[in-house]
Parts: sequence; C-alpha cells; structure tokens
Amino acid sequence: MAPIVVIRDLIKEYSGRRALDGVSLEINEGEIFGLIGPNGAGKTTALRVLSTIIKPTSGYAEVCGKDIVKEGSAVRKLISYLPEEAGAYPNLSGYEYLRFMASFYYGNGGEIKAALAEGERISGLGDRMRDKTSTYSKGMRRRLLLARTLMVRPRLAILDEPTSGLDVTHAFHLRNVIKSYSKEHDTTVLLSSHNMLEVEYLCDRVAFINEGRIVEVGSPSGLRARHEAANLEEAFVKVVRVA
Amino acid sequence: MPKGLRLLIAKEVKDLLRDPKILIGLILFPALLLPLMGAAINVSTWSTIEKASGNLTAYIIDDDGGSVVEDLQRYASENWINLTVTSGNPADVVKTLEGGGTIVYVPAGFSQNVTSNTVGSLILYTNFKEFSIVEFIKAQRVSDLISAFEDAVVKNKVEGSMPGSDPNSVLNPISVEHESVIKGTAQPISPTLLQSVVRLQGLMGPLVIMIVLILAMQVAATSMAVEKEAKTLETLLTIPVSRLSILFGKLVGSVAIALLATIANVLAFTYYIGALTSQMSTGAAGSDLISLGLVPSVQGYLVLGLTLFGALISALALALTLGTLSQDVRGAQSIIGIIIVPVFLPTIFLMMGDISTLPAAIQLVLYLIPFTYPVLASQALITGNYGPILLGLVYMAVFTFATLYIAARVFSTEKVMTARLAFRRKGRREV
Repeated sequence: MAPIVVIRDLIKEYSGRRALDGVSLEINEGEIFGLIGPNGAGKTTALRVLSTIIKPTSGYAEVCGKDIVKEGSAVRKLISYLPEEAGAYPNLSGYEYLRFMASFYYGNGGEIKAALAEGERISGLGDRMRDKTSTYSKGMRRRLLLARTLMVRPRLAILDEPTSGLDVTHAFHLRNVIKSYSKEHDTTVLLSSHNMLEVEYLCDRVAFINEGRIVEVGSPSGLRARHEAANLEEAFVKVVRVA
Repeated sequence: MPKGLRLLIAKEVKDLLRDPKILIGLILFPALLLPLMGAAINVSTWSTIEKASGNLTAYIIDDDGGSVVEDLQRYASENWINLTVTSGNPADVVKTLEGGGTIVYVPAGFSQNVTSNTVGSLILYTNFKEFSIVEFIKAQRVSDLISAFEDAVVKNKVEGSMPGSDPNSVLNPISVEHESVIKGTAQPISPTLLQSVVRLQGLMGPLVIMIVLILAMQVAATSMAVEKEAKTLETLLTIPVSRLSILFGKLVGSVAIALLATIANVLAFTYYIGALTSQMSTGAAGSDLISLGLVPSVQGYLVLGLTLFGALISALALALTLGTLSQDVRGAQSIIGIIIVPVFLPTIFLMMGDISTLPAAIQLVLYLIPFTYPVLASQALITGNYGPILLGLVYMAVFTFATLYIAARVFSTEKVMTARLAFRRKGRREV
C-alpha cells in the first residue's frame, strides 16, 4: 500500500533555531499514527508544516502525492486540521459554525446537510448545537471542533493534542470517536499527544520525536518489545536517554 | 464573487454584528447617546428659557423721585418687567432676593442729569446663588431693559432737537449692504455670514470622514484580533480557501459594519447638531450652500469618492495587518489608538482653515498623510480647488497598493501566524 504521507529530511528553523531537524516519516492510508514527544520536541511544528500553515526551511513532504509547498491549496482539500488551542467563533452557534465550515468543502446543499448531520452525530452535543459556542465548556467546544474536523471526511485528519486538558468523560468520548471514525471511513489520522496511554489505545503506529528529530518508529507493542518496556512511557524514556 | 469570499463576508458581518463590543460600542451606543444628549439639551434649554422668559419682577430703590424714573417704570411694564418699588440699602436688600433677583438703584439727581444732557448713573445689584443660566438670563434682561430704555431716551432727544427728522437715520447715517461674488454670481450675503455658513456646513464632511475611517479601522483590527484571541485563525488557514479571500473577506466585512456604524453615527450626530443649533439664532438660518450657488459638481463627488475609497482601503489594510500582529483584542485596540492619530490630524487642522494658510512644515506633514486627501476633497466640493488633490490621488493609489501588498504578504506567508510586533517582549515559542 502506498503511503498517504511522505516526509523527507524536513527542516524548519525559527530565527536560526531548529524546531525540526531532518524529520523523515511515512504514514499509511487508514492508520492512526501518533507523534509522541515532550514539550518543544517539534510535534506542533511538524503538524503545522503538514497542514500548510507554515513552510519548511528545507526538505520535502507530500499528502496523497501532493507537494505541501507547491500544491498547498490541493493539500488543504484533502486534510482537516485540529490545532491544539483551537476555538470556535463565539458569536455563532455550534450549528452555524459547522455549516460555515462545511460550506467550504461541499458545493451543494444536500452534501452540506449530510456533513452537518455527521457533525452533529460526532459532537454528541444534541440541542446545545443551537447555542452560541461562547456558552460551551472546554470539553463541549473540543467535541464541536473534532466534529468539524471529521465531518468533511478528510483523507488525512491531523489532530494536535486532541484530548489535552479535557476531563475524563470528554476525553473518553473523543478517543472513541477518533477510533471508530477512522475504522468506519478508513480515514488516516495523524495525532500528537503527551498521553502515552491514549496513544497506546488509539494508534496503530507511533513515532517518538525529541529535539526536532524522529528517534523511533513502530507499533506500540513492537516498541514495547524492542525496548523491553512495560509501556510506551518507559520505552520513550529509554529511547530518549539513548538518543 | 468566489464562493469562499462570499461565505467569509457573510460570516464576518454576522459575527461582528453579534459581537456586543461592536454592536453596542460602535452602533447602538452612539445612535442612542447622541440623540439623548440632543433631547436633553432641548429639554433643559426650553425649560430654562421658559423659566427666564415670563413676566419678570425686579426691584427699584428710587432716591431720585424724578420723571425719568417714572418713564423707566412704565417702559419696563410694557416690556414684561415689573419694577417693584422697595426701600433700604440696596446692597443689603439684594441679599434677601432669590437667585438672579435684581435691584435697580437710582441715586438722587439721576433724572436731572439725564434731562440736562449729562450722564445719569444707575447701579444694578444682582444676587447670584447658583450661577445657573436662569440667573444670568434674568440679570441680563434687566440690563437689556436699561439699554433699550436708553435708546428710547436718545431717540426722544433727537426728535426734540431735530423736529421732522428720523432718529434712526440721525443715529445710523451710513448703511452698508454686501454683495459677495460666489463662483461668478453676486449673492446678497456678508463675508462674515458667508464664512459661518461655509464653515458650519463644511465642518460635517471632514468629521464624517474621520468617523468612518476610525470606525472601520477599529472594526478591522478587532475582527482580526478576535480571530487570534478565539484561536480560530489557525483553523481558517487550513481550510480550502485562499488567504487573499480571508483578507478580502475581512476587508469587505469591516467596510459593511463601518458603513452601518457610520450611518448610525451620522444620523445621531445630525440630530444632535440640529438640536444644538435650533437653540441658536445665528442669522444664517435659511442660508445653505445650494441657495448660495455652491453646488458641488459630479466630478467633485467622484474625486471625493475616490479619495475616500483609497483612504478606507489603505486604513483597513493597515489595521488588519496590525491586528494580525496583535495577540488579542486589547492589544489591537491599543495599536489602533496610536495609528488613528494620522486619521484625525488632517480633520483637526483642516476643519477650521485652509491648508495653504498653515505653516509649510505642517502642510508637508499633512500632504504625506493619505487621509488628508478625502478631507481636502470634501472642502473642494465647496471651493472647487482640486489642484493638490489630483496629485494626491496618484500618491493615494501608491499608498493604498503598498498597504494592500503588505497586508497580502503578511497573509500569504506564515507571518500571519508567527509575526509579532517588534516592541513586544519576545517570548518562547511553542513548537
């Protein structure tokens, strides 16, 4: 199977400091791929580069064969990105927000309607969808934003810390939605997380990233076995210490 | 219009109109406050006039007892002022009166002096308690009565000494009439009156332009900063819509809201000014620019429209760029607070005068500010002086394209996410 994401020697510098230092990765279609690393490791930068928000200093990356630098607008039609600190327009209702976003992806009313129904189902917000998003709790807002990300059926969903800062109930809901949605629609998901348990539960494969470099890639069980670790957390610490 | 741009404009207008900061602060508040102020001025002025303009009772302490005093009392009663005779030391008696109460003190020998063509002195004692307008009006009415009585005495003397002559002609032997030539046509109006009409009506143009520009800049910078503060910009940059559409969506949305706010402000301001000027008797009432032959030409409106459009677009591009560099709404509004200075400078300088009368250095500064040209164009509607404006149009076009280019550059690169204003302390970036 051809990989849906290909990254080669990606470098991103901010004022001479390297946030990404030669990252290379391949992500296969339909898999949930986790990017794990400490704060400042380069996770968000990698996801922003793939989402076409920022350009790499050098290197190459493609999504579904489209160059993220040269074919940015084509890439944006294939992906859907959920930033770590995303928000919704506070003066629009949840429903209006989803309709606004869906309108960019679909041409006719029927498709938009179907996407909205999907978004409402994913969010699980029920009647609260008619309320302004400024009245939502953090968890509710995150559910709405995940619904926005997935309702447009992207080839690649990019989720930056999807459950960060959420309580157990909302985090549980989001994790289940991501897992079931990916399997249902064969959607490829690239996510970053600090939460090793979450990554073990969700991801088919993971990459450890530290100081802008990918230091290990494999399935959670494979990584645990390779590093004789009880869990991913222990494996990560062992790898980083060696690296 | 591309679909993405249409969607963004619709969202922008809806989102901004629902924002209490915009709706209340920029539209409802001025729309309600200014008419309320005008109504309050109306009510208080009318109640003051009513209170001060009825039959007035003043007092007279007569140590003279002559015939002129009797004439004065009669003259007063014909003019709705009852001069009640009282006695005592006027300085003490006046203290017992209500606020604005007046005593006319007539010293002995007053009538004798007046009839023998020497000066007869009166002393007016007025008791001020609250220094209110009513007190001043009452005091002024008694003072005006004495002046009018003096005129009557003079005319009486003229009639007595020059039988058959018109006292008015004797006292005002020279009459001046004005014919001001306006755009080649003579109009029966004095230069002083003409100035007041032109200035009063020429004031509105620059003021409205200033309001439009400032409101539009506030809306644009706020809308961009809200996008950052609400953390919606990052998502917007990854959906299938061009970044230029995002920029123009914000530009058009801000213009739409700014126009709404301007209509509300101008209507409210017109009502307020109307309420204010209806209380004034300037003698210029009924004189307007059109009746004086100062009809603005179609070309004049075209030039005004062009300069205003250029100023609006460049102001918005500038505000959006700076709003993009701000971290939050408060930061954006602080920046706008600084950059509106060049917007209101031309209005302040040109509201009361002609640019050619200003010192050369100030003229140069004003010519360098692109927002000067719509103000000049609004004045040229009356004066027809388009010389500096036509050159200014070229300068404005360059400035507008430059600001739009900078805004487009900021939007089309990752600077829209990463750039920060230089004077902010650099923080560690989350990567």
